[in-house]
Amino acid sequence: MKKVEKGGWVGPKKRSKYVRAIENKKGWGVENLPTPEGLALIEARWDLCIGCGLCEIACSMYHHGVINRELSRIRIFRYLLPAPKSVQNVCTQCSEKERECEKACPVNPPVIHYDTATFHMVVDEKRCLGSKCAKCLKACPAEIPRFYPPERNYAMVCDLCERDGARRPQCVEICPSFALEFMGPQFPQHLQRIHPDDKADCMAERLHPLPRNKPQITPEELFGWKTKPIK
Amino acid sequence: MKFNLLEIDLSSGEKKSVDVTEEVRQYVGGRGLGAKFLWDQVLEGTDPLSPSNILYFGLGPITGFLGSVTNVSALSPLTLLRGQSNLNGHFGIELIYAGYNAGVLLKGKADRPVYIYIKNDDVEIRDASHLWGRYNPDHQETLRKELRKELDDQNFRIASIGPAGEHLVRNASIDHDFFHHAARLGMGAVMGSKNVKTIAVKGTNAPGYQKPDLLYPLLLKWVKEGWEERIGRRRWGHSVTLPRRYYETREGVKNKQLGWDPTCDLSNPLKLEQGAKLWSDACNLCHVGCKVPYMRRKPPFAPTTGEIRHDNAGGWNANVLLPGYDPQSYLSTYLDTLGLDSEDVSGVVAWMMECYEKGLMTKEDLDGIELTWGNIEAICALVKKIAFRDGIGDPLAEGLKLAPDQIQKSERKYAMTHKGAAITSYEPRGSLSDAIGLALNPVGELHGGRGDPVRIMFDSLTTCSFLRHELPAVFGSLDNWGRSMLEGACGWRVSDKEWRNLMLRVSIMERCLCIREGYIPARDDILPDRFFNETLYGKYGEPKALSRGKFLEARKKTYLAFGLNEDGIPTRKILRGLDMDFVIPTLEKKLGKTLE
Repeated sequence: MKKVEKGGWVGPKKRSKYVRAIENKKGWGVENLPTPEGLALIEARWDLCIGCGLCEIACSMYHHGVINRELSRIRIFRYLLPAPKSVQNVCTQCSEKERECEKACPVNPPVIHYDTATFHMVVDEKRCLGSKCAKCLKACPAEIPRFYPPERNYAMVCDLCERDGARRPQCVEICPSFALEFMGPQFPQHLQRIHPDDKADCMAERLHPLPRNKPQITPEELFGWKTKPIK
Repeated sequence: MKFNLLEIDLSSGEKKSVDVTEEVRQYVGGRGLGAKFLWDQVLEGTDPLSPSNILYFGLGPITGFLGSVTNVSALSPLTLLRGQSNLNGHFGIELIYAGYNAGVLLKGKADRPVYIYIKNDDVEIRDASHLWGRYNPDHQETLRKELRKELDDQNFRIASIGPAGEHLVRNASIDHDFFHHAARLGMGAVMGSKNVKTIAVKGTNAPGYQKPDLLYPLLLKWVKEGWEERIGRRRWGHSVTLPRRYYETREGVKNKQLGWDPTCDLSNPLKLEQGAKLWSDACNLCHVGCKVPYMRRKPPFAPTTGEIRHDNAGGWNANVLLPGYDPQSYLSTYLDTLGLDSEDVSGVVAWMMECYEKGLMTKEDLDGIELTWGNIEAICALVKKIAFRDGIGDPLAEGLKLAPDQIQKSERKYAMTHKGAAITSYEPRGSLSDAIGLALNPVGELHGGRGDPVRIMFDSLTTCSFLRHELPAVFGSLDNWGRSMLEGACGWRVSDKEWRNLMLRVSIMERCLCIREGYIPARDDILPDRFFNETLYGKYGEPKALSRGKFLEARKKTYLAFGLNEDGIPTRKILRGLDMDFVIPTLEKKLGKTLE
């Protein structure tokens, strides 16, 4: 005889290990996905971004142990199109020919460079000239390297959260809308390396006839009132 | 942790950062601290639109961890009592990053239209003559382009008023990013009376949370546990609550005259989602993302972009007999561009419609507008008149407390108002708890239930209270969550008793301030007679009525639960226990009797 309680039917106590594995699983499920080997990057799907900023906090917590979005290597840019839209801005770990930041660095050898052993960009913090130079920032089409003077006056770029060879990007694991993906490169990275303003322009096309400063057809236009709309 | 308040005297142009850590420790912030500032700095009976009133953009200790609510406090020009309103989004967190984690306090009045520029320590009062008089997203976009000099300068967060606030319309709103509004109780009019068009904030300082190692796991726990239940809201936004409320007879129909109308059936959230949804948008560090912007392309009311939620699109539904989401979304966006409170103005319009229907007002009285039920063109015309205080719009812009005296032909009894704020979205006959929630808010009707100490605590911590039911499911209870968040953010070890005292103190401070401004609980915590005298019939003919006896009985019980006596007045013992002796003489003078 099965026991029926107030809260409804209580299932059998003994469950298979598969059921238990499903039940005990905590989190989004993203952390259970296989991670890519070798060349990899964090791909941003900006149409899915809801602009909560959890990725920024996860990044600054992992790298610096503080809650401060300004220390994050991934950034959220929020626009009004006039519908609000947020897009991410994160390093795409460009291939050698596309790496504008490395070419622009005035220091020899370049402070900001790609590490072929760990497959991500590396910045030599001690040699970096800081935000006064910022040539890498200007060279990057998406303006990704960022500085936080005076405490962290060196270029900060995504290192895929690599520690001792293990890569677990925290922003990807925390993203609640699956708008970030940790994956191998699928097409040349310069096609993903888009300035946030351009991303916003692209999303604004979905609101096509409306310009940025006008959210709707005015009643004057709609009903054919004679008075002119006040600017 | 140190709490800095940015105090700006607009008359003299003086700006200073004040340390208010001790006040924050006692009154938490946001709504509670705003009440304390109003008590200390504004004299009793001050004209809300005079320079002596203050405008406080209040933050709390954990602003930004569950949405970053900014609570705007001032004396209300609409109800002439204490006024407050919340806006979410990213404005609050930007102020924290700018280094003002106790908010911004505006005093005095600028001699010309200005906007306030805040970038970290750089605070300037700048000329806004080129922004003055312009509609809402338009001038925000202009300012954003103007301020942008480099990459770091493009995320300015802007709170501003529209033309309605400039014309001192008593139910004008403050708009942030066009989708978040501190709309209720005329906060925009107060901002307009100070000649401030916009506040633009950008911050890059460290927020300085005390124990990130405690705070971050709490955040992760909240984000990752039980997310399946919460995440549905991202799909729907809040449009989904409307049909359910209609079926439960909890949504006003035809200025509260009916319980059901065939137009109610036309609000279909599935159609809205599938046909018009663009994407989702979240407030700061909130994984739910219940802002759902839509874009309507289908004629006649197109193109329109905007957002529907039960509260802000408020009464542009069956309350004025408008069918479905199309006209509702159009009007809600139109009022946002004008900078008006959709909810309150829809109450005013519904009241005028009933007066027109009953023959009290004629077409000539309304400047040639044929204000029949559901006539969207007439509504647009009237709303525009209200925003610019033109013709009949001038007396109507005074709100439901003052307008019935100014328009001789109208009838006050048709105005569905509570302490002067319109009741539009809620139909109290559908549920007694709704009725009690509406009536027991000392500042007037604000989306139901906001007089509860728990809600006042949320407004003081300035976090989003939509998820107040889900928090206990993850953390065991609200206390657990709140106390550990406070410890993580400010380093305070708050005991169980201390937490309860904080909650009681902010809610009682709020009530004391309202009593000082002329609120008498037993007299004012009541609903219009229509709710007690008329019976409604729901969709399937089920009768819905509100018995006055039952209501008063429930009200008495709720007062006791709030830590007050049966008449809704705090007792001397409680005030002493909360170190609030300073309010006793004023309360006794105001109530004309000694406190128990």
